[in-house]
Amino acid sequence: MDTSEITTAYNYDSFTPEKVLPWLNFAHSPALGQPAPDFPLWRLDGAPTSLSEVWSQHRLTVVEFGSFT
Amino acid sequence: MNEIAERFAPQGVGSVFLYTHEAHPGEYYPHLTSLAQKFDHARALRDVLGVARPILLDALDGACHRAYGSMPNMSWIFNRGGVPIYKSDWSDAASIANALEYQLDVLERRRGKERLAPFHVERLDYRTSDRQGFADGLARSGPKAVREFAEAGL
Repeated sequence: MDTSEITTAYNYDSFTPEKVLPWLNFAHSPALGQPAPDFPLWRLDGAPTSLSEVWSQHRLTVVEFGSFT
Repeated sequence: MNEIAERFAPQGVGSVFLYTHEAHPGEYYPHLTSLAQKFDHARALRDVLGVARPILLDALDGACHRAYGSMPNMSWIFNRGGVPIYKSDWSDAASIANALEYQLDVLERRRGKERLAPFHVERLDYRTSDRQGFADGLARSGPKAVREFAEAGL
Protein backbone atom coordinates (compact mmCIF):
# COMPACT_ATOMS: atom_id res chain seq x y z
CA MET A 1 0.00 0.00 0.00
CA ASP A 2 1.22 3.53 -0.67
CA THR A 3 0.89 6.31 1.90
CA SER A 4 -2.52 7.40 0.63
CA GLU A 5 -3.90 3.88 0.80
CA ILE A 6 -2.45 3.36 4.27
CA THR A 7 -4.00 6.62 5.47
CA THR A 8 -7.42 5.60 4.18
CA ALA A 9 -7.26 2.07 5.56
CA TYR A 10 -5.85 3.15 8.92
CA ASN A 11 -8.64 5.72 9.31
CA TYR A 12 -11.30 3.10 8.60
CA ASP A 13 -14.82 4.40 8.07
CA SER A 14 -16.59 1.60 9.92
CA PHE A 15 -15.77 -0.74 12.80
CA THR A 16 -15.65 -4.21 11.27
CA PRO A 17 -13.25 -7.06 12.10
CA GLU A 18 -11.89 -6.96 8.55
CA LYS A 19 -10.94 -3.29 8.85
CA VAL A 20 -9.85 -3.21 12.49
CA LEU A 21 -8.01 -6.41 13.35
CA PRO A 22 -5.19 -6.22 10.77
CA TRP A 23 -3.83 -3.10 12.49
CA LEU A 24 -3.53 -4.64 15.96
CA ASN A 25 0.09 -5.73 16.22
CA PHE A 26 1.17 -5.25 19.82
CA ALA A 27 3.07 -8.56 19.87
CA HIS A 28 5.55 -7.12 17.38
CA SER A 29 5.82 -3.65 18.89
CA PRO A 30 9.22 -2.22 19.94
CA ALA A 31 11.02 -4.19 22.63
CA LEU A 32 11.50 -2.96 26.17
CA GLY A 33 15.05 -2.01 27.03
CA GLN A 34 16.00 -1.03 23.48
CA PRO A 35 15.96 2.48 21.99
CA ALA A 36 12.50 3.09 20.55
CA PRO A 37 11.67 4.66 17.18
CA ASP A 38 11.06 8.39 17.06
CA PHE A 39 8.25 10.07 15.14
CA PRO A 40 7.14 13.63 14.35
CA LEU A 41 4.07 14.76 16.27
CA TRP A 42 2.05 17.95 16.63
CA ARG A 43 0.97 19.84 19.70
CA LEU A 44 -2.65 20.93 19.98
CA ASP A 45 -1.67 24.49 19.03
CA GLY A 46 -0.22 23.17 15.77
CA ALA A 47 3.43 23.41 16.79
CA PRO A 48 5.57 20.52 15.57
CA THR A 49 7.29 18.30 18.09
CA SER A 50 8.42 14.70 18.27
CA LEU A 51 8.25 11.71 20.54
CA SER A 52 11.95 12.14 21.38
CA GLU A 53 11.41 15.78 22.33
CA VAL A 54 8.69 14.65 24.70
CA TRP A 55 10.55 11.79 26.37
CA SER A 56 13.77 13.80 26.73
CA GLN A 57 12.07 16.39 28.95
CA HIS A 58 11.33 14.13 31.93
CA ARG A 59 12.91 11.39 34.01
CA LEU A 60 10.05 9.16 32.86
CA THR A 61 7.25 9.86 30.40
CA VAL A 62 3.87 8.13 30.21
CA VAL A 63 2.39 8.09 26.72
CA GLU A 64 -1.25 7.06 26.45
CA PHE A 65 -2.46 6.36 22.91
CA GLY A 66 -6.10 6.83 22.04
CA SER A 67 -8.84 8.98 20.57
CA PHE A 68 -12.23 10.49 21.31
CA THR A 69 -13.95 7.30 20.20
CA MET B 1 -5.05 8.95 34.17
CA ASN B 2 -5.18 12.71 34.83
CA GLU B 3 -4.80 12.00 38.55
CA ILE B 4 -1.78 9.79 37.94
CA ALA B 5 -0.19 12.55 35.87
CA GLU B 6 -0.67 15.09 38.66
CA ARG B 7 0.49 12.72 41.38
CA PHE B 8 3.78 11.81 39.70
CA ALA B 9 4.65 15.13 38.06
CA PRO B 10 6.60 16.39 41.13
CA GLN B 11 8.87 13.37 40.75
CA GLY B 12 9.83 14.29 37.20
CA VAL B 13 7.26 12.17 35.39
CA GLY B 14 5.71 13.63 32.25
CA SER B 15 2.38 12.42 30.90
CA VAL B 16 0.93 13.00 27.44
CA PHE B 17 -2.01 11.75 25.41
CA LEU B 18 -1.19 10.80 21.83
CA TYR B 19 -4.16 11.15 19.48
CA THR B 20 -4.40 8.29 16.98
CA HIS B 21 -7.48 7.49 14.87
CA GLU B 22 -11.16 7.01 15.58
CA ALA B 23 -11.52 3.47 16.88
CA HIS B 24 -15.32 3.64 16.66
CA PRO B 25 -16.26 6.21 14.02
CA GLY B 26 -19.83 7.42 14.19
CA GLU B 27 -22.09 10.16 12.89
CA TYR B 28 -20.83 12.73 15.42
CA TYR B 29 -17.15 11.77 15.28
CA PRO B 30 -16.59 10.14 11.88
CA HIS B 31 -13.39 8.61 10.54
CA LEU B 32 -10.56 11.06 9.96
CA THR B 33 -9.90 12.43 6.48
CA SER B 34 -7.73 15.45 7.28
CA LEU B 35 -5.28 16.68 9.88
CA ALA B 36 -7.56 19.68 10.56
CA GLN B 37 -10.37 17.30 11.50
CA LYS B 38 -7.96 15.38 13.71
CA PHE B 39 -7.15 18.62 15.57
CA ASP B 40 -10.90 19.23 16.04
CA HIS B 41 -11.45 15.77 17.51
CA ALA B 42 -8.41 16.15 19.77
CA ARG B 43 -9.80 19.42 21.12
CA ALA B 44 -13.06 17.61 21.85
CA LEU B 45 -11.07 15.04 23.80
CA ARG B 46 -9.75 17.89 25.91
CA ASP B 47 -12.97 19.89 26.20
CA VAL B 48 -15.64 17.18 26.32
CA LEU B 49 -13.82 14.28 27.98
CA GLY B 50 -11.58 16.45 30.14
CA VAL B 51 -8.17 15.10 29.25
CA ALA B 52 -5.95 17.56 31.10
CA ARG B 53 -2.58 16.19 29.98
CA PRO B 54 -0.86 17.66 26.93
CA ILE B 55 -2.45 16.17 23.83
CA LEU B 56 -0.15 15.41 20.90
CA LEU B 57 -1.26 14.36 17.42
CA ASP B 58 0.20 11.55 15.39
CA ALA B 59 0.41 11.94 11.60
CA LEU B 60 -2.80 11.26 9.70
CA ASP B 61 -1.41 7.93 8.48
CA GLY B 62 -0.77 6.87 12.10
CA ALA B 63 2.95 6.26 11.56
CA CYS B 64 3.79 6.39 15.26
CA HIS B 65 0.70 4.51 16.42
CA ARG B 66 1.24 1.76 13.86
CA ALA B 67 4.92 1.38 14.77
CA TYR B 68 3.99 0.85 18.40
CA GLY B 69 1.34 -1.78 17.74
CA SER B 70 -1.85 0.16 16.92
CA MET B 71 -3.75 -0.85 20.05
CA PRO B 72 -6.69 1.51 20.61
CA ASN B 73 -5.81 2.56 24.16
CA MET B 74 -2.33 1.33 25.00
CA SER B 75 0.22 3.02 27.27
CA TRP B 76 4.00 3.15 27.21
CA ILE B 77 6.54 4.54 29.66
CA PHE B 78 9.87 5.84 28.31
CA ASN B 79 12.99 6.88 30.13
CA ARG B 80 14.80 10.09 29.24
CA GLY B 81 16.93 8.23 26.69
CA GLY B 82 13.92 7.03 24.72
CA VAL B 83 14.06 3.47 26.00
CA PRO B 84 10.64 1.98 26.78
CA ILE B 85 10.57 0.41 30.23
CA TYR B 86 6.84 -0.48 30.35
CA LYS B 87 4.22 -1.18 27.73
CA SER B 88 0.64 -2.23 28.18
CA ASP B 89 -1.91 -3.09 25.51
CA TRP B 90 -4.53 -1.26 27.56
CA SER B 91 -4.29 1.89 29.71
CA ASP B 92 -4.97 1.35 33.38
CA ALA B 93 -4.09 3.95 35.98
CA ALA B 94 -3.35 1.44 38.76
CA SER B 95 -1.02 -0.59 36.55
CA ILE B 96 0.82 2.53 35.40
CA ALA B 97 1.12 3.90 38.94
CA ASN B 98 2.55 0.56 40.06
CA ALA B 99 5.12 0.64 37.25
CA LEU B 100 6.06 4.26 37.94
CA GLU B 101 6.63 3.60 41.63
CA TYR B 102 8.89 0.68 40.80
CA GLN B 103 10.84 2.55 38.10
CA LEU B 104 11.28 5.68 40.21
CA ASP B 105 12.73 3.46 42.92
CA VAL B 106 15.12 2.01 40.33
CA LEU B 107 16.28 5.53 39.48
CA GLU B 108 16.91 6.24 43.17
CA ARG B 109 18.85 2.99 43.58
CA ARG B 110 21.00 4.00 40.61
CA ARG B 111 21.62 7.39 42.18
CA GLY B 112 22.80 5.49 45.24
CA LYS B 113 25.41 3.74 43.05
CA GLU B 114 23.74 0.36 43.39
CA ARG B 115 24.78 -1.96 40.57
CA LEU B 116 21.65 -3.03 38.68
CA ALA B 117 21.07 -5.42 35.79
CA PRO B 118 17.84 -5.34 33.77
CA PHE B 119 15.67 -8.36 33.18
CA HIS B 120 12.34 -8.93 31.46
CA VAL B 121 9.14 -9.85 33.27
CA GLU B 122 5.68 -10.62 31.91
CA ARG B 123 2.69 -9.94 34.11
CA LEU B 124 -1.06 -10.12 33.62
CA ASP B 125 -2.72 -7.05 35.10
CA TYR B 126 -6.44 -6.49 35.58
CA ARG B 127 -8.61 -3.47 34.94
CA THR B 128 -12.20 -2.71 35.84
CA SER B 129 -14.46 -3.65 32.96
CA ASP B 130 -16.61 -0.53 32.68
CA ARG B 131 -19.30 -1.70 30.26
CA GLN B 132 -21.56 1.29 30.87
CA GLY B 133 -18.69 3.72 30.35
CA PHE B 134 -17.75 1.97 27.13
CA ALA B 135 -21.37 2.06 25.92
CA ASP B 136 -21.55 5.75 26.76
CA GLY B 137 -18.41 6.32 24.70
CA LEU B 138 -19.88 4.56 21.69
CA ALA B 139 -23.06 6.62 22.03
CA ARG B 140 -21.02 9.84 22.06
CA SER B 141 -19.65 8.87 18.66
CA GLY B 142 -23.13 8.14 17.33
CA PRO B 143 -25.67 5.35 16.67
CA LYS B 144 -23.50 4.00 13.85
CA ALA B 145 -20.67 3.28 16.32
CA VAL B 146 -23.09 1.52 18.69
CA ARG B 147 -24.55 -0.60 15.89
CA GLU B 148 -21.21 -1.54 14.33
CA PHE B 149 -19.68 -2.62 17.62
CA ALA B 150 -22.68 -4.85 18.34
CA GLU B 151 -22.49 -6.36 14.86
CA ALA B 152 -18.71 -6.87 14.94
CA GLY B 153 -18.92 -9.53 17.61
CA LEU B 154 -15.53 -8.63 19.06
